[in-house]
Amino acid sequence: MSDTTLLRVEDLSVHFRSSKGVAHAVDHVSFDIKPHETLALVGETGCGKSVTARSILRLVPEPPGEYASGEVFLRNANDSETDILSSSPKEVRAIRGDRISMIFQDPGKALNPGLTIGRQLAEVFGEHRLSMLFENAEMADSKPSRLAQRVAQQRANAFQKIVFDVTSRGASKRLQKAIDESVMDALADTGIPNPRKIMQSYPHELSGGMKQRVMIAQALACDPDLLIADEPTTALDVTIQARILELIHQMQQRRGMAILYITHDLSLVREFADRVAVMYAGRIVEMGPSADVLASPQHPYTQGLLDAIPRAATPRGELAAIPGTVPQLIDPPAQCHFASRCEFASAACRSVIPVPLTTGPGRTVACHRFDSAESLGVPADFMPVAATVKGKPSR
Amino acid sequence: MTMLNNTQSNLLGGATDAVLSMRDVKVHYPVKEGLLQQVTGYVRAVDGVSLSIPRGQTLGLVGESGCGKTTLGRVISGLVAPTNGELWVDVSPEDQKEIDRLSSLSPKEMGQADQATLKRLKENNLLGSMSKEKQRHYRRNCQVVFQDAFSSLNPRQLVRDIVGRPLRVHHEASGDDLDEKVVELLEKVGLGRQHLLRYPHQFSGGQRQRISIARALALNPEFVVLDEPTSALDVSVQAQILNLLVELQKDMGLTYLFITHDLGVVQHMADSIAVMYLGQIAEFGPTADVFNNPLHPYTRILRDSNPSLEDDDEREKWDLSGTVPNPINPPRGCRLHPRCPLAKAECGWSVDDVLTDTERHAPVLFETITRVQRSSDFSVRIEFDQADSATQFATRVGQLSAHDALDRPVAVEGASVDMSFVEVSDAELEQMQEGRWSSCTRTQQLGALPELDSNKSQ
Repeated sequence: MSDTTLLRVEDLSVHFRSSKGVAHAVDHVSFDIKPHETLALVGETGCGKSVTARSILRLVPEPPGEYASGEVFLRNANDSETDILSSSPKEVRAIRGDRISMIFQDPGKALNPGLTIGRQLAEVFGEHRLSMLFENAEMADSKPSRLAQRVAQQRANAFQKIVFDVTSRGASKRLQKAIDESVMDALADTGIPNPRKIMQSYPHELSGGMKQRVMIAQALACDPDLLIADEPTTALDVTIQARILELIHQMQQRRGMAILYITHDLSLVREFADRVAVMYAGRIVEMGPSADVLASPQHPYTQGLLDAIPRAATPRGELAAIPGTVPQLIDPPAQCHFASRCEFASAACRSVIPVPLTTGPGRTVACHRFDSAESLGVPADFMPVAATVKGKPSR
Repeated sequence: MTMLNNTQSNLLGGATDAVLSMRDVKVHYPVKEGLLQQVTGYVRAVDGVSLSIPRGQTLGLVGESGCGKTTLGRVISGLVAPTNGELWVDVSPEDQKEIDRLSSLSPKEMGQADQATLKRLKENNLLGSMSKEKQRHYRRNCQVVFQDAFSSLNPRQLVRDIVGRPLRVHHEASGDDLDEKVVELLEKVGLGRQHLLRYPHQFSGGQRQRISIARALALNPEFVVLDEPTSALDVSVQAQILNLLVELQKDMGLTYLFITHDLGVVQHMADSIAVMYLGQIAEFGPTADVFNNPLHPYTRILRDSNPSLEDDDEREKWDLSGTVPNPINPPRGCRLHPRCPLAKAECGWSVDDVLTDTERHAPVLFETITRVQRSSDFSVRIEFDQADSATQFATRVGQLSAHDALDRPVAVEGASVDMSFVEVSDAELEQMQEGRWSSCTRTQQLGALPELDSNKSQ
């Protein structure tokens, strides 16, 4: 299996220090993503899904954040693996936007309001595709390395710098044209009508759906191997949501990137993801092929989430809500986090942290109902009612 | 409006006992420009909505963001004054019929008896004409729960003050008595005495929404406007809040106006649904009927875009093209037609549609336009900087769906183009079946939603 994974997250823990104590936002999370597949990370607000995604790009600010344990391995073309968490900031920057890129939840906040769309997209090319630009501008031999250095220093207005640096007026025009063309291609690829006009506009002039398209264009400009989509449609209307998801799906088919799709909406998972990982209070509680997980959820939390979605058939006022609230993440006790809200909870659930158990092909669940008293080392009457499952779950 | 004059029509929602019935409500916001702040146009946020809200039921109001649903909710709760239209409060079915009849008469046609009745009705039921006392009563009776429980609770006040404020304002209680009443309210929404002396930031999103609901219920209202009460919440918490709302409705006999963009939620909660698009109601009917057999393409599109957990049959999914048009200058005819997969010649194509389309899809050509001379919304003379562009434009128009709606071929004359469309009146709601209304002109002709023309060019 491991020889085909693109990204491997192993035992990742992210803690935040606060005056009240240490918040365990992400708590020993492991998963992997294969090339071309879509993995959905589902969970409620505050369960750590966004922090997990940001850790992959090392975007969690330190302090107050802290990578308490774990590695994030990205497979390179030559089959070696880079651990993003132990790489130098320079190496991580080379990966961000090029090999792994990210779409954020609110496109209105993620785009720089002071730059035109064209300038913002140009930055991506300036950071990662300088030589391509010089080639397109027929300037391959004009010492790009020196210019590239300058660009790195003056990142904010990368292109102005280059354009002014190039002494010949003709060359600077050619370069600007090469930049504009790359940006326009990237925009046109996401189905934006009239990319030339969009390039000259500022983010506030565009609608939410259009802004999200710009974000997607920006994220996909360098053909990343992995796209992290952090609730890309939460801020949008259903009609636009459907079209943005369709667009991401099309782009995936055309370019073959893997997607880590973060959402709180299970109904999107069925249509959109190959595999799903359900997170609760910083831990992954269930993982497996999305059709299987949605059809026969094994963890009580996944079941609860599914039941809480209003459907036509549910009688009014009888939605199965999960009782209680999400527990505090600050200095959590060593127990199953869901125990306080779980109908099956027993003494074992309140004293031992459940570990992921394999319950089927590609399926894992972290619940004591699938474990045995011997392997946990607790008396038999501490165990919750065992779940019925085909085959023997293994550790 | 003409819709009300129609013999068979009473209001949307029918002649039921209504907590509120709106007639042709409009909210237009002026757009000011330039140094002198001259009014150059109006944003038609709500543009002619007639709707009655039946007592004891839940009416769902759905639509995309920017369609005016929140503004309508604010009009109803008295937070925004309508530019036009009437709001009748607490109308019985008989009064409803009477108002229907009287509003179709001109002042000249009214006899003395009629005028007396109208005066009596206005004094008793019309918001604005009734006594101050009665207006205050309506204000008490109609409460709102806002979308964002983070910003609708004062961060510097304690829960006791937030929930107790309506009681204090209306001199219902004070001192220890007030505290007891607040605790009672908090218990009603699943909180307790221990929460009395806390600030909003100490609560989770779901709890804050509960506080909001407790505040709305403080004065024992009959009617609550719920403006997207769960859109900021997680599904599991949303389920708790929805259950709570249903329970409260049963206990207190509340009437709800449930404003939302989430079709799953509205399908679960509402007895009947009004679908809004660009300030107008596109479809109205009982929830199950509207979902199972939509009579407006927009409803069908909304339903299809809503992701569902159940396996749906392999039916074709309808999709909207383009973006929401500018509400300052909404499309003529049916407002959906520039984006509608069913649009045909009769749907109300006008000059603006062609120009917008050109700007969007042929920007270079659009730049060459030097002058646009309109004689009406449907007829125009466009001048270009050269004859070539004019011919190019004429060919382009020939490829659009709007082409069928031209009342004579496009006339190219040197560098200018003459174009004229068949004039169409604006689409109006029509009762299609018992209690089912739709404003789609094609549906009205056929009596059912037309099939999607699969080999459509656009």
